[in-house]
Amino acid sequence: MALTKEEMLVMYRKMLLIREFEETVANMFSQGQIPGFVHLYVGEEAVAVGVCSNLGEQDYIASTHRGHGHGIARGASVDKMMAEIFGKVDGYCKGKGGSMHIADVELGFLGANGIVGAGLPLAAGAAFANKYLNNNGVAVCFFGDGASNRATFHEALNLASIWKLPVIFVCENNMYGISMCQERHQNITDVADRSTAYGIPGLTVDGNDLMAVYEAAAEAVKRARAGEGPTLIECKTYRHRGHFEGDACVYRSEDELNRWKMKCPIKRFGDRLLEMGLAGRDELDKIKEQVKEQIESALEFARRSPLPDVSELTKDVYCD
Amino acid sequence: MSSVGIIANPASGKDIRRLVAYATVFDNNEKVNLVRRILIGLDALGVQKVYFMPDYFGFYQRATDGLTGQHRLALETCLLDMPMEFNQADSRRAAALMAAAGVRCIITLGGDGTNRVVAQGAGEVPLLPISTGTNNVFPVMVEGTIAGLAAGLLVTGAVRPDQALVRSKKLVIYINGRPADSALVDAVVLTDRFIGSRAVWEVDKIKQLVVTRGAATNIGIASVAGGIRHIRMEEPLGMHLEVGDDNAPLQVKAAIGPGLVRKVPVARYQLLVPGQRVTVLENPCVIALDGEREIQVNRGDRAEVELSPAGPLVVDINHTMSTAVAGGAFLNKTPAGGV
Amino acid sequence: MLEMTYAQAINAALREEMQRDGKVYILGEDVGVFGGCFGVTAGLIDQFGPQRVLDTPISETAIIGSAVGAAAAGLRPVPEIMFMDFMAVCLDEFFNQAAKMRYMFGGKARVPVTLRTVCGAGVGAAAQHSQSLEAWFTHMPGVKVVMPSTPADAKGLLVASIRDDNPVIFIEHKVLYVLSGPVPEGEYSIPLGKADIKRPGGDVTIVATSMMVHNALAAAQTLAGEGVEAEVVDPRTLSPLDKDTILESVAKTGRLVVVHEAVKNSGFGGEIAAMVAEEGFDYLDAPIKRVGAPFTPVPFSPHLEAAYIPDENKIITAVKEIM
Repeated sequence: MALTKEEMLVMYRKMLLIREFEETVANMFSQGQIPGFVHLYVGEEAVAVGVCSNLGEQDYIASTHRGHGHGIARGASVDKMMAEIFGKVDGYCKGKGGSMHIADVELGFLGANGIVGAGLPLAAGAAFANKYLNNNGVAVCFFGDGASNRATFHEALNLASIWKLPVIFVCENNMYGISMCQERHQNITDVADRSTAYGIPGLTVDGNDLMAVYEAAAEAVKRARAGEGPTLIECKTYRHRGHFEGDACVYRSEDELNRWKMKCPIKRFGDRLLEMGLAGRDELDKIKEQVKEQIESALEFARRSPLPDVSELTKDVYCD
Repeated sequence: MSSVGIIANPASGKDIRRLVAYATVFDNNEKVNLVRRILIGLDALGVQKVYFMPDYFGFYQRATDGLTGQHRLALETCLLDMPMEFNQADSRRAAALMAAAGVRCIITLGGDGTNRVVAQGAGEVPLLPISTGTNNVFPVMVEGTIAGLAAGLLVTGAVRPDQALVRSKKLVIYINGRPADSALVDAVVLTDRFIGSRAVWEVDKIKQLVVTRGAATNIGIASVAGGIRHIRMEEPLGMHLEVGDDNAPLQVKAAIGPGLVRKVPVARYQLLVPGQRVTVLENPCVIALDGEREIQVNRGDRAEVELSPAGPLVVDINHTMSTAVAGGAFLNKTPAGGV
Repeated sequence: MLEMTYAQAINAALREEMQRDGKVYILGEDVGVFGGCFGVTAGLIDQFGPQRVLDTPISETAIIGSAVGAAAAGLRPVPEIMFMDFMAVCLDEFFNQAAKMRYMFGGKARVPVTLRTVCGAGVGAAAQHSQSLEAWFTHMPGVKVVMPSTPADAKGLLVASIRDDNPVIFIEHKVLYVLSGPVPEGEYSIPLGKADIKRPGGDVTIVATSMMVHNALAAAQTLAGEGVEAEVVDPRTLSPLDKDTILESVAKTGRLVVVHEAVKNSGFGGEIAAMVAEEGFDYLDAPIKRVGAPFTPVPFSPHLEAAYIPDENKIITAVKEIM
């Protein structure tokens, strides 16, 4: 099914929303307005949006420490996300989770995660639940090249393959596990190679090409819903910012970064929309303007939200 | 000096056809073994030097690191000194640099797509294409050692070029009258708007098809032409097909991908002769070259496809080997010997 | 009352809960056709089929991790980890994921996972198949820790655990599986966080867990012959802990001995002792004594293993030291 103009513009808007959100967080963090630490998704927007644009209500996603993009792509409120990052009571987790634990189970968002690779078995479990409940839902797990060295990756892929779980494992290969470039942390360059060990389809796509990701995810989701089991999609991408804000990035070159900035997924998709005559420059500019306003208002929302009352400290440890 | 170039594509064998068809992931460590076998074959025939294209996986380092001890080679290996862009242009530039360095053959590891760009840089240097991709018409399935031996026979002069080589054809794609790209096997006009995941698997998006060759034994879009008439690589012919709807006069059952047998409705087809141009009727559209979406044709652009007889020279492995055997190239008779 | 073994009681609880609630399912290594390493899940696959009784590969991380994901997505998984010692290879899924999800997500997640596992020495299983590691889990906010000592408790507490919306670790003792005892007929549950006085007495309180409840009862029997009436309190749930029952007992007896099979150092006995020292110091007429295993791995040789496990005599000695 060919995408309509509206659908394409929604995706474009979502990528921009992620970019604007992250750049605002970076800015606020550098001003000391955000506590803790944050891992930003700038540069990888096409992966989250390309994948999540294929998901419906019953579906789940499990995310990573670099999870803001996934949340926004899944449809989370930027107001509540921003408030959470500020540690405010109107945040998704009443300020108890912060950047690395933003979640909305109702929305099918099983959370960002502070433990690298932890999401893989969680997503397999959510996929199992969907299969068990026979609701045609799938689950997606985002993870990085670094996580593909963890036991969770291997155990989850194995379990999902034998149980034919409707799960899509999306590897965001941004070529670094913190400071370790891929060459130093694994003896392969294409994480998709590992799919063969589990007897499931694995493929590599250009993670900075929205449509490449979208098409791959569409097919994987279709396959999962048809009961044919899991897929491993490797998206080659790059984080423009450091592992976390404040990372001096001594382990990579300016050249490399600039090369990847040339492949900016948002600009690429925007240019293509213009080229095709699907949108005019003014239309894209207007979207950008609206996105800026939306993020400004999210920032305002976060700032205005009160800090959680100290009585919250010991609440929510257990269900009643 | 007898020298050879090796261009191995680490990205081949991993695209979306693993998902939409039943293609297999071709893992890079297996390609490393393949490169080692090629080197051993080349070395056995006394080839002196092998140039490698640098790549993100590091085939050169990995392959040569594994050739020590009893497998130590006499030939010299080296990595081309070239800046990398980590896209297909690297292969094109590497082929041109190898040609400039005087290699007498370029061995490629990849699919039709890899060979397409290598051919664009190789000029008159013959290619020995080994299949590690998916929709492979141009490269052949051959054991690496044998490929190394065949290339060795050519570059050391044991088999003459006129006995070893075949001239292939190509398609030149013109946009607004200017040559924009080329293909070795097929150019497919699609109703798509995006290059996206590159591969072509949805038949209902195909509007036109131009091929340099076709056989029912081909895997890929060229098999549609091949299902109508066999056109050999060296034959001075091509074919143009327009895809119709379910009421089309001809329905061709073809293996358009690994595990993808589809019925393709053909409204009309014509044989092409070298130099003949076909106008692309769909606009806007995307044109896939050798199995991969490559060119986005925008509204108002005029696209044409021309059959050219000036495709790359290709090593005919079977003919090269049988010529060598006939000339006793593999025999080393001892004085006391006698058969 | 029905007479059944501890293993049968657990099996019955699983069966009843699976009948009652279609969202309850079992997964673990060899829990299906094989019936579980100790036969606890025997026959369940015949009744509920392989869709609800799932044999898993040897992948503890995937067992717990997938159970946590499924629980967050609305199911009530009951994973089994064949030996408690193996929790070391999948702790993250329980400790950093299950235990913290609700809090991290601001109270908007439920993770009703009941993780069944097996502790305890006494069968010659040596250092990696015999440990009692309950203290690890009582140190985790968000997790409930249950350690039943009798068939009746095992059944009622397992039912309550499965119905609980929190992650629960349900720690069975492998030596107790064959213990037979009375079990109430029909459906019942025992609330989590409620201790049970296994033997009343007025002279000394012995708080004991799991297998040690039985050793404490044997010691109490012997002590009674010598004129000392020991009250044996079984907390049954270590987290949340029924402090009141323990404090009331100490208020009555003035003396406290805490017994567990785990090594004494940093064992849960320290928590009970500290709690009583903080909240019931005035009740005490003597120092608190702890009885636990020595600070060594569990040995293999039956002779050494017997010396390792706190027995009746060690408990009697501890009691006598403070009488």
